[in-house]
Amino acid sequence: MYEPKIIGFLCNWCSYRGADTAGMARLKYPPNVKIVRVPCSGRISPELVLRTFREGADGVMVLGCHIGDCHYATGNHRTAKRMPVLRNLLAYSGIDPERFYINWVSAAEGEKFATVIHQFTEKIRAMPPFSEVVG
Amino acid sequence: MSERLPALREAIRKLLPEVEGVLGLRRGPAGIVTPHLFVAERAGELDALAIWPKEPLPDVLRKILKAHPTAKLAVVCRRCEERGIVEMSKHAQIDLARVTLIGLQCTRAEAEFCRCAKPATIHARITVGKPGEGVADRVTDDFLKKDQAGRLAFWKEHFLHCIKCYGCRNVCPQCFCNVCALEDETWVETGRLPMPVPPMYHLVRAMHMTAKCVACRECEETCPTGIPLAIHFRLIARDVEEMFKYETGAAIEQSPPHFLVLEEGEYERTGLPH
Amino acid sequence: MIDYRSVLSTCPYCGTGCALDLQVLDGRLSGVLPAKGHPISEGGLCIKGWNAHEFVGHADRLRKPMIRKNGRLVEAEWDEALTLVAKKLGAIKAESGPDSIAVLSSAKCTNEENYVLQKFARAVVGTNNVDHCARL
Repeated sequence: MYEPKIIGFLCNWCSYRGADTAGMARLKYPPNVKIVRVPCSGRISPELVLRTFREGADGVMVLGCHIGDCHYATGNHRTAKRMPVLRNLLAYSGIDPERFYINWVSAAEGEKFATVIHQFTEKIRAMPPFSEVVG
Repeated sequence: MSERLPALREAIRKLLPEVEGVLGLRRGPAGIVTPHLFVAERAGELDALAIWPKEPLPDVLRKILKAHPTAKLAVVCRRCEERGIVEMSKHAQIDLARVTLIGLQCTRAEAEFCRCAKPATIHARITVGKPGEGVADRVTDDFLKKDQAGRLAFWKEHFLHCIKCYGCRNVCPQCFCNVCALEDETWVETGRLPMPVPPMYHLVRAMHMTAKCVACRECEETCPTGIPLAIHFRLIARDVEEMFKYETGAAIEQSPPHFLVLEEGEYERTGLPH
Repeated sequence: MIDYRSVLSTCPYCGTGCALDLQVLDGRLSGVLPAKGHPISEGGLCIKGWNAHEFVGHADRLRKPMIRKNGRLVEAEWDEALTLVAKKLGAIKAESGPDSIAVLSSAKCTNEENYVLQKFARAVVGTNNVDHCARL
């Protein structure tokens, strides 16, 4: 059965700790997301996301701190500016922009984390594998 | 076209004593038009002044200014080149105080060739010619009508012919990085042809052209296989205008969006969740 | 006085012969632009053409003939080098026959150079072992 491969880039200070909070509360969520911890979501360059798709990821997530709460003050402002442009570019290239997910999860939002992972995994599962898109 | 040439020649001749050179185009002995620095000592060369086909002058200007840190130059620029020069000044690549712009206005025919909506310069104090009417970019508009599968097939078909000559990057009037991401093996696999999906080289380039593309269409002109490259760059330029209210190379005082934090109202326009 | 000009030339790399405009700033090659409107290259270049100017002033280019003496390459004069080559090729031909020598030509050579090279192979060395890098 098709199990989507999803890579999630989580910022160390908020979303990664949100994942820990979900874990400590024993919340269940699908295991399809492989997490990569980065210091800040602003570190995620468009090249990195594109390379992740190139390596065969069916979906990519970037989860950062809420705007105004970034540990580095304005790192997530870069995320908020670059990632939407990249998302549109994926759409212009014929790649479903729904495969690329950007959201903000704080350290306390364990439930939000589990929900977000669950919803995105199911959305990707309903789409064809990325390898079929590539052809 | 023929009325502008004598007027441009006159404008350059008047300016020559005041600057160390005027960068423009010259028709060479084989009839090929190339960038050329006209200097007062060889004013006779102005007889071979040309204005079409256009060449990407902003990067040439940048190189000359860099090699001569105190020189004052003038440059013949169309709207797209003016945008390029202004944008480069925001990235500390060109010192506008040392540059006099001679604004060459484009005709309607030239605007149609470049699918250009704004063929008139806005900053140059010296202008030559009367601008023709801008045209809508029908190629880009038609592209948007395609669905996802259609777009994927479109690019797959076109990028099959890409030979990775790097011409689109080399000729771009806005490409000045000493260390280019496109030469980094981490992003662009060396020796990998045809283009994979996603087409790494082109998408990385498109992202790097965010808030830099000046719609000069030189990339499409130099592509040996005729790929309609401008579509990606222009679509992103439209998004940048909509999300960040930023037009490349327009307002000299406005900083590009990547330099700043989110401005008032920008977050709502990005489409990101609240 | 600042000098910036373009010099129309032909790409040395393959048989297509695309035209390129060498950009010369103050007497030094600073870059390359494709020649728009040229009937053959039509304003495009391949990656070799775009970098064709790089070898011209490269530090690694030979300035004088070099001969390996005692395991090290040392600079020599043309007469000494050519005499050595003629002597050694002659010895190889005498010992192992003309067909033990092959001549490999290149797309970067002019037609005239290629003609001389094959004439050298056939008439001087006496072999028809002549080939060209484009066939490999």
